[in-house]
This record gives sequence, C-alpha cells and structure tokens, in this order.
Amino acid sequence: MVVVRRRWFQAPWDFKESILFAAVALIAGFAIQYAASGSGITLPRLPFNAIALTLFAVMTLGAGLAFRNNPLVKWLGGIPLGLCLIFAIAVLSLVGGIVPQEAAAAGSLSAQFGLNQIFSSWPFALSVLLFLGNLGLSLSWRLIPFKVQNLQFILFHAGFWIALSCAIFGSSDLQRLIVPIEIGKANNFGYTMQSDTPQPLPFSIFLHDFSLEEYPPQLLLYDPHSDKLLMNRAQAIIEVQKGTTATWKGIEVLVLDYIPYATPGTDGVPVAADRSTGVPYAKVRITTAAAPREVWISTGGPKIKPDAADLGNLYLIMVPGTPKSFRSAVTVQDGKGNDTMANLEVNKPVSFMGWKLYQMGYDEKAGRWSKLSLVEVIHDPWLPAVYLGFFMIMAGNILFFWNGIKRSKVAS
Amino acid sequence: MILDFNTAAIVAIACWATGSLLHLFALRTPALKLPAVVMTLGGSAVMAGFIAIYWSALGRPPLRTLGETRLWYAALIPLVGFLVESRWEIRWLKYYCMALAAFFLGINMLHPDVFDKTLMPALQSPWFIPHVVVYLVGYVLLAASSLTALHNVYLELRSKKNENGASVSHYLALLGFVFLTFGLIFGALWAKEAWGHYWTWDPKETWAFLSWLAYLGYLHAFRYKIENRKLQWYLALAFVVLLVCWFGVNYLPSAQNSVHTYQQS
Repeated sequence: MVVVRRRWFQAPWDFKESILFAAVALIAGFAIQYAASGSGITLPRLPFNAIALTLFAVMTLGAGLAFRNNPLVKWLGGIPLGLCLIFAIAVLSLVGGIVPQEAAAAGSLSAQFGLNQIFSSWPFALSVLLFLGNLGLSLSWRLIPFKVQNLQFILFHAGFWIALSCAIFGSSDLQRLIVPIEIGKANNFGYTMQSDTPQPLPFSIFLHDFSLEEYPPQLLLYDPHSDKLLMNRAQAIIEVQKGTTATWKGIEVLVLDYIPYATPGTDGVPVAADRSTGVPYAKVRITTAAAPREVWISTGGPKIKPDAADLGNLYLIMVPGTPKSFRSAVTVQDGKGNDTMANLEVNKPVSFMGWKLYQMGYDEKAGRWSKLSLVEVIHDPWLPAVYLGFFMIMAGNILFFWNGIKRSKVAS
Repeated sequence: MILDFNTAAIVAIACWATGSLLHLFALRTPALKLPAVVMTLGGSAVMAGFIAIYWSALGRPPLRTLGETRLWYAALIPLVGFLVESRWEIRWLKYYCMALAAFFLGINMLHPDVFDKTLMPALQSPWFIPHVVVYLVGYVLLAASSLTALHNVYLELRSKKNENGASVSHYLALLGFVFLTFGLIFGALWAKEAWGHYWTWDPKETWAFLSWLAYLGYLHAFRYKIENRKLQWYLALAFVVLLVCWFGVNYLPSAQNSVHTYQQS
C-alpha cells in the first residue's frame, strides 16, 4: 500500500497546520511583547470587560453553529488545534514555573519578552484567547442539539471556559488592599502591593484588640562556634512542659518547672505574672559529665533579656514557640449605617458589603506583643462566575469518574 | 518517643517482601495464594496503622512535610497494584508498586523527619486533608499509570504480546486526572479562604496546572486516536512533570517565596 503524505494546507487540516498556527501565535505574542518593550496588558474594567466577554462568547457560539460544516471552522474547534494550544499554554506555564515571577532589571531579556510576568504577557493572552475560541467552538457543537450523553462533556468544558475566561477577563476588577491598623484606632485606607499611595476604602476598620497564641516554647542546644543548633537524639522539636526530657550527646536535660508568664525575681527565682508582661521561664536540671545542676532559663521578651544555660562551649536556650493562631477583634462600618463586629483569623475571613476581610499579618518583630494588625480586604465581583465554573468542572468530573469506572469494567 | 518509624517501616517492607515471594510460589502451589495476599495487604495495613498513631501523637494530620506525604504514598500505592490485579488481572504491577513503596520508606529512613507538632495557622483548615489526600491518591494512580505505560513500551519494543496493558494505563490516567482536577479546585477554594485569592501563580500552582495540562493533553490525544505506541511513551514521561511538582519545585529558582515549599528540617 502506498501511503500518500498529505501536503501542507491540503484539506482536511490536521496537526501540521495546528502546530504552525500555535507557533505563529506564540511568536506573534512575543513580538508584540517586545515591540511594547515588555509592558504587559491592561484590561478594561466593568462593564467593558463583561461586554467584551459576552460578545466573544456570542461570536464563538454563533460561528460554531452557523458554520458547523465549514472545514476551517471545524479545524478551529478541533482536537488537533486544541492540543497544540494546550501545549503552547503549557510551554508558557513552564517558563512561569522556572523563571521567578518578580521584577527584573529593565532592559534585560527576561523583562523585554515578559518572561518575568509571563501570565500577564501578550503570548499568554493570545494563546488563552485562541484556546477559549477553540474550546467555545467545540462546546457549541455539543450544546446544540443537546443530548444527555453529552452532559459530562458540556459540564467540564463549559465549566473550564467560564472559570478561565472570567478569571482572566475579571482580573482587572480584582481589588486587593492591605490595611494596617493599630489597636484602639480605625483606618479607612489601604495599600496595594505595588504602591505606597494610600487608597480610600468604602468602609473603615476599627481594631479593638489583637491577640496571638503561640505553641509552647522550645528547648534548643546552640553551638556559638559553628553558629548552629544541634539536633537532639530523638530528632524531635522539644516543647517545654513540666517533665519534658531531652538528650544530646553527653547532655541530659529535665524540665523541673515551667511558668508560661513570669518576670525576673530578686533572688533569681522568677515570679508568675500576667500575660501582657510575663515571658516563659523554665527550671531545668542539666546532667553532664560534671555534677548535675539546676538553672532557670527564659525566652526573654521586649523588656526582659533572655536567660540561657552556659554549658562551657555550648548554650541551652529556650525560644518562643511558633505562632499557633492570631486574631483581630474589629468593627467594620461604612458611612451608610452598616456595621459589624467580627473576629478575623487566618482561614476565617469575614464578609462585609461585597468585600472579604482577611487576617493577614502583624508586627512580627513584636510577636505576641504586636500592637499592629495587617488586614487584607478583597473585592472580586467576578468570583461567583469563576466558582460556577469550578462547580461545573467538579460535576463533570464526577460523571467522568463514574463513566470511566463503568467503561473500564467493559474493557476488562 | 514511643513511636519508632524504622521498626514500622522494616515490618512493612518485610511484609511486602514475603508477600511477593509467596505470590511467586503461589503460581505453583495455589494454597499459598491466601497468605500471600494477607502479607502484602498487611504491609499497607502496618503503614496505615503507623500513620494513625503518628497522627494522634502529633495532634495534627501528618501531611505537612515531604517525608509525611511519602508515608501516605507508601501506604497507598500497593493498594493500586492490588486494585489493578483484581480488576484487569494484571499481576506484575503490584510488585513494582510494593518496590516503590519500600523505596519511599527507605528515603524516609535515610532522612528521618523531625518530630514537630506545630502547624502554621494557614494550614489549620478543613481543606487541608481533602486537598492533600486527593492529590496523593491522584499521584499514586498516575505513578501506576506511568509504570504500566513503561511496561507497555517495553513489551512493544520486544514485540511481546500485551493484552490489557494499554487499557490499564489509560484508565489509571483517567482516574488520576479526575483526582488531580479535584485537588486543583480544592486548592483554589482553600486558597480563597486562606490567602484571599483562588489563583496566584504560586510556583507550586503553576506546576500543578502544568501537570494537569499534561494529562488533559493525554486525554485529548487518546480521544483523537493517536497511535497507541506514542500514547504509552507520553504517559510514561508525563509522570516526570508530576515529580517536579511534588518535590522538584522546592529546588527551582522560582519557588523561593512559594507558600507551598514543604518545611525542610
């Protein structure tokens, strides 16, 4: 049998033309990026982005349905082009996964071709737009006429189309501002990550209190010569509690007593104090080759210097535990009489008039004595649309799983 | 510490090794089949038991460090081998799976984890367990898919008979993809609650997206009826992307500020 190789652009178009098309899109994207001397894309905001997206969707669906038998349209919505565009997006993501996505020296190769901000670059935008077109066309043919067996396809592909397009077209409407607030004060200005200019907010946040809870302090053995911490025998982080033991080579430590909040006493014995002034103290018995001895050590605090146990060329030290949780008690109010009291905590954001408020950070140098709380406020009007896409993908996914299981049985 | 990881790991590996030997002997002496199955399953049961005890000792899910994810992986991957055997009557895969599990436990024995109960506030979320476990199941399925594909490539090169091979690697990839998709979306939903936005092109997210695209590409290539030989090569190599995503990311220049780098201790 003689295999006749299909010539370039001989109908029906297939992979060769798709590879060329995707490659041209990438090259054109990089060329535009270079011509625009590295500046990315600025998208229009509501309502213009919504209008543009609707027009794009209508045009794609319209073209798919009106020209469903046209060979060019078929190819544009076909798997070969889809695969090549997936590959193009993957290549760009690979760049984004390797090159740090942060400010690069102006004029550097990375900055001129937008490699350091690949996900807002022209080649990425172009590939995604073409991919959405391809996806939209393939979707139009499954949507009309509707068949139940196409439901899985429709949910997954339409979900992906909605999530991807709304996330990208809606990114210009996303507002993320960081609001620094001191205890007992209110603030109605926020800052973006990029600029120092305060932006007014449609509400103010009053900080009643900031509190931080730590894990128990840790015992560590410090070697000042090598500036290293020595790992103990049990390969464990040693949380200080009454009765805790720890063993290093030739050194045994037993915690005899532990006071979470105390201040230094006159005779070297610490005195229990309240949370706001006290620091953790522990009485430890240290057994080495020499006679065992008992000392008080402490983590220290803003006004109390730390106490370590001197073991000749090593030091047994106690450091504060890592943060376990931190929260801000706030009152949020707008000028129209709406107000709410809330506790903001990591992973527990609070909604207020279309905004979401997040506990973001605090003055890390001050630790649990921080008088400052950083609250991030976010407004994303496109979120419901993106979530709709997510849930459609998941629903399609469940059907895909179910069908896969069913079919795999037939195959065996 | 009461818990001794090394003992648990050695017992599990011993179970898998004896189970594998018994399986081989069972080809001649069918009476050995039952003890063989019990031993191999026993290895995973030991790991599952260790994870449970470790979890309660830590007071947090052992899913935080790379070493902890390897524990789950070692417990789960032999199960995929058994699943494939019971469904498609393919017997060889389970040996590779148990060897892989033993290999992961070996890494953990050479690089013991530091026993650390702390869990940073961002990880204290109901999403933590579903997000990571769904991903681990996905990785396990895709590892098995890749192994099968590699085996298929080998059989093809040696021109040997291979009946169910291609459909096994395909269905494992399909199921793995479903889990990756859930992992990705759970991650996005969690990120919205913890960090304020569902997608920030964090390096780990970028690589997770890349791995997802790799398998999305496979499913479409399969659908388009690309030559089976090429598909098997594709599946065999696609797993490399997942490996970069799982632990390679920690070493990339882009990941210095990632929220996802596992704690190195």
